Amino acid sequence: MLALKDLHKRYDEVVALAGCTLQVDRGRMLGFLGPNGAGKTTAMRTIFGLVAPDSGEVTWDGGPIGIEQKRRFGYMPEQRGLYPKMRAQEQLAYLGRLRGMDAKPASASADTWLERLGLAERRMDRVEVLSHGNQQRVQLAAALVHDPDLLVMDEPFSGLDPIATETMAEILREEAERGKAVVFSSHQLDLVEDICEEVAIINAGQIVVEGDVRELKDAAPIRHLEVELDGEVGDLFDGLEGVRQIRSDDHMHTAIIDSGTDVRGFLSRAQEIGQLRHFAYTTPSLSALFREAVK
Amino acid sequence: MSSMRTVWRIAMREIREHGRSKSFLITTVVTFLLVAALVILPGLIGGGPAEYTVGSVGEGNEPIVTAAEQLGNASDEPDAEPSVSIELQEFENQGAAEAVMDEGELDAILIDGSEVVVESVGGFGESDLLSLLQQAAASVELEAVVAEGGQAAADVIEVMTSDPLETTTLSGPEAGDETRGAVAYAGLLLLYMAVLLYGNWMLAGVTEEKSNRVVEVLLSSVKPWQILAGKIIGIGSLGISQFAGTILVAFLAVNLTGAIELPSLDVVAVANLILWFILGFLLFAVMYGAAGSLVSRMEDAQNVAFPMSMIAVAGFFVSIAALGDPDGTVAVVGTFIPFTAPFVVPVRAALGAIPAWQYIAAVVLTIATIVGLVLVAGRIYAGGLLRFGSRVKLREAWRSAET
Repeated sequence: MLALKDLHKRYDEVVALAGCTLQVDRGRMLGFLGPNGAGKTTAMRTIFGLVAPDSGEVTWDGGPIGIEQKRRFGYMPEQRGLYPKMRAQEQLAYLGRLRGMDAKPASASADTWLERLGLAERRMDRVEVLSHGNQQRVQLAAALVHDPDLLVMDEPFSGLDPIATETMAEILREEAERGKAVVFSSHQLDLVEDICEEVAIINAGQIVVEGDVRELKDAAPIRHLEVELDGEVGDLFDGLEGVRQIRSDDHMHTAIIDSGTDVRGFLSRAQEIGQLRHFAYTTPSLSALFREAVK
Repeated sequence: MSSMRTVWRIAMREIREHGRSKSFLITTVVTFLLVAALVILPGLIGGGPAEYTVGSVGEGNEPIVTAAEQLGNASDEPDAEPSVSIELQEFENQGAAEAVMDEGELDAILIDGSEVVVESVGGFGESDLLSLLQQAAASVELEAVVAEGGQAAADVIEVMTSDPLETTTLSGPEAGDETRGAVAYAGLLLLYMAVLLYGNWMLAGVTEEKSNRVVEVLLSSVKPWQILAGKIIGIGSLGISQFAGTILVAFLAVNLTGAIELPSLDVVAVANLILWFILGFLLFAVMYGAAGSLVSRMEDAQNVAFPMSMIAVAGFFVSIAALGDPDGTVAVVGTFIPFTAPFVVPVRAALGAIPAWQYIAAVVLTIATIVGLVLVAGRIYAGGLLRFGSRVKLREAWRSAET
């Protein structure tokens, strides 16, 4: 289990972390969210000792993280970095060996990952001649080549096309299912909502929301109510308690209402007005939760 | 996995990636060819015997030519091939001779033992012949004046052409000091170029890792000092093999052509050069490595390395001074400053002009400085690596590695 406990870090005037506490269990995947400059990258760097916190501690399975532990971690930094002149396969094998693998298993693992990511044909190409998307794939393989127990990925989805995004998501999910602790940061909230069970939202160096995505949404104090009608909406919404906000756009009406509002009878009243084209009563999206949390 | 295994793997990558890079292979081949050419070519161009053809019109030219040959060969070793030979060709008159000279078949024309015609004065090689003939004519005249028979004239010529003062060198009776100086100079030049070249590889390698951000991946599982040490060992081993190869090529060329007279492949001299190459390289590589960690862009690397390059240049000039005066104050002071010692000490040692205690003291001082630098530079390196963007100040790098 990875645990960040009450981390503080400031750079001169800028506070990067202000009591950040977070944990990720083995076999779980955590989406790490937050606006730009909230402290995501700094928090991730503290895991590898790349940033030394002013106070607080980072532990793995309850113990301090030394070089032996770090060799069992995989890291994809925000700024991608590989040796441009090295061949893809040799580069991956080298990174595997730096984390303690023997030559043969490292080379075999490099090949396996290149094949998995559709780069088998390009294995002996220098990284600099690969396309941006393929370089990203090699970067992912670099974090996975030594079969780590913990995966820390800073913005792994940025700059990927939809197909590559799907592959990346699939691999992350698989790795979590295989018992790894996975934490990744992202701004693509719909995607995170799709693939993550757990999220943590950081704002101004502190975790402001943390937990199971479904529970968080259920616990939200609001619901979204959407109706699309042929006829005039009239006083349809007047019968509802706790309406916070209504937005109307032609025939589409979206209301934000208190989660305790009784909506029974609303659907039948709507149907009396005209042909119903669309009706939805939902918990707020992760995006909405996010906006609320970092307001 | 032990720390040293990590260092070793990093070193092996440096050797493999640099070793098979085009630039390395090309510089190696070019250096070898250049060194071989420098040794061999002077022998081919200037070292052979000079052969002249001189036209003769009228009487009295033969004694001059004979004397000129004697003069020209006066300093030859006995039994050696004569270094000057002059062929005399008879002509009816000056016009016929000049016609042949126009075709380039004659180097000069002597007329009645009192006049000489040449194409021009000051042309390459011709003035040698002209001054030789002038001296010869003078000695023939001297012979006539002395009128004491051949022996006296030969004595005069002997006196005129030999060094009147017998030379003794204080350091020993060998006559090879000049060649030793040349060898020391060549060694110094190689050493200086090698330290700068491989130092710059360090600089470029460190900055490159920082500029393409691979360093963040590396540092997630490797300690900064391991990267620094691995790079130094890797680039150092490549450098030393290239350096030793260059020396080997030079010695082979020397021995094959006999261009310079060397006693034999002097093991002590080579060991001396290699020892100081290692010390000099380590000293500068550590500094260049730390400098490279302060900048994120290649364009900034040269600026940040400027002080180091200046130190190397200063060391070079001090050792040139030491070459001229190996026992002088400059040379002795340079011996005890670790930054100039790698250039000065091998020169003094090659000239046999350094007491053993000074040599040992210089080695100890330099090693101590390297150890100190590794600690300081290692920390600057660790602190500088993850600070991207503009150039990192030394103090910032030092402080950010404090934990």
